Amino acid sequence: MSDTLLSVENLRVTYPTRKGPAEVVRGVSFTLGRERLAIVGESGSGKSQTGRAILGLTPKPGIVTADKLSFDGIDLRGAKPRQWRALRGARMSMVMQDPKFSLNPVMTVGAQIMEALAFHGRSSRAEKRDRALAMLEAVQIRDPKRVFDAYPHEISGGMGQRVMIAMMLVAEPDLMIADEPTSALDVTVQVEVLRILDQLVSEKGMGLVFISHDLRLVSTFCDRVLVMYAGRVVEELKASELHRAQHPYTRGLISCLPEIDTDVRPLPTLDRDASWAL
Amino acid sequence: MGLLDVINLDVIFGEAPQQVHAVKGVSFSVREGESYGIVGESGSGKSTVLRAICGLAPVSGGAIELGGREVVSPRGRDFYKTVQMVFQDPYASLHPRHTIDRVLAEPLAIQGFDNREERIERALSDVGLGPGFRFRFPHQLSGGQRQRVAVARALILEPKVLLLDEPTSALDASIQAEVLNLLDRLRAERGLTYVMVSHDLAVVAHMCDRLLVMQHGRAVEELTRDALRARTATTDYTRQLLAASEGYKPAEPK
Repeated sequence: MSDTLLSVENLRVTYPTRKGPAEVVRGVSFTLGRERLAIVGESGSGKSQTGRAILGLTPKPGIVTADKLSFDGIDLRGAKPRQWRALRGARMSMVMQDPKFSLNPVMTVGAQIMEALAFHGRSSRAEKRDRALAMLEAVQIRDPKRVFDAYPHEISGGMGQRVMIAMMLVAEPDLMIADEPTSALDVTVQVEVLRILDQLVSEKGMGLVFISHDLRLVSTFCDRVLVMYAGRVVEELKASELHRAQHPYTRGLISCLPEIDTDVRPLPTLDRDASWAL
Repeated sequence: MGLLDVINLDVIFGEAPQQVHAVKGVSFSVREGESYGIVGESGSGKSTVLRAICGLAPVSGGAIELGGREVVSPRGRDFYKTVQMVFQDPYASLHPRHTIDRVLAEPLAIQGFDNREERIERALSDVGLGPGFRFRFPHQLSGGQRQRVAVARALILEPKVLLLDEPTSALDASIQAEVLNLLDRLRAERGLTYVMVSHDLAVVAHMCDRLLVMQHGRAVEELTRDALRARTATTDYTRQLLAASEGYKPAEPK
């Protein structure tokens, strides 16, 4: 269970700007086994950029450097497009935040899921169809046949998100990077989606990087948490020990959330210390 | 009878074949000085109720009463002097090519207020923004600062009732705390009445004395903050929301 699937050392992502290069990820290091690792932080902390860089999806003109970036023994630095194509989708995949922008609007859901299979492995059309339908069922879509033939605009946001997950999972990847996979969903649907991800980690031994801004959710769902601030990991700890966080930023993030049962007024706010960003 | 009464409200969009019945017979009453919450998931009609109150959605059935008098459509100028709204997305609700000064001056001009200079400066300082922000454009502000401007824009007319549509859902947690504190302080200082819509039970429990749970356009349950804390919700749906707001729990034994 503890074998290392992904190891990242000193990952840096830089974008050139008119004011000189802006480093948005500054020396992030971590390893991932077959577990649920959370990356949390506020907007602009570099958490999504970290996720994208691992999959080689940093948009141009961004530059990614790392001392080590390896997935299951394969060095991802300087991987050729051909190698990426063999890895992405088949062995590592990413679930994006918003299904509205990530599904192809002019292709039916079924065709999109089958396309993922067409690139990875040879199987007959009927087989692919069966697997796609089975996957839709696995992500708790009640009427998989209808959804299979539907276009993205004909399904709800929650369903779209589950379709995305189905599409990413149909090829049974070893590593999944989920970028805020549930923040566009209603809380009751959110629970269902998390359950699917949970199952895949515990039953199929998938490694999951769960990028989120929701500390409360992460503390109950993930095994380990990396807290990012201004492009750096400021703290790494077990999710169950989040309440014992040492770094003032992590503590601030936790305490500024309102709670149903306590009445803290005014809510504590974060006093950002310039030294955190150094 | 409260300051704001919503009586058996129906909101219907569109014509017969594609009609959407967004709000179905919702009633509630908000007392003066109270903070009232509406929670529900997307599509529950919670925002539509707010929009119907301020005239942005049609009142297809039932009535809305302000201070015991039924409001007319279109709403008059005096209605907006009493009731103002803060919208969900501070990135979309401020005109991108108007300076903050212009955003704040417009309602004053419409309502014929005097001392506009002074009022704009005070409105900005009330929400914790200095005079330095006055001539900036929205793109020069952060999300939290924009939402402060939206609150300032609503409060500059000195309304009694503030309708808040998910005022913090587009903001980071630490900024959310700042905006909630600001709203809390302003209510205490000015005796404002709030109607606040949110999908986040914790935010509503923090801000509101009473709340209404909505699902599929209907009011499911009305409960007080104390009842929410005591977990004495009577409907399954409210209990489900409460459970979900506590984070993820591994599959429960069936």
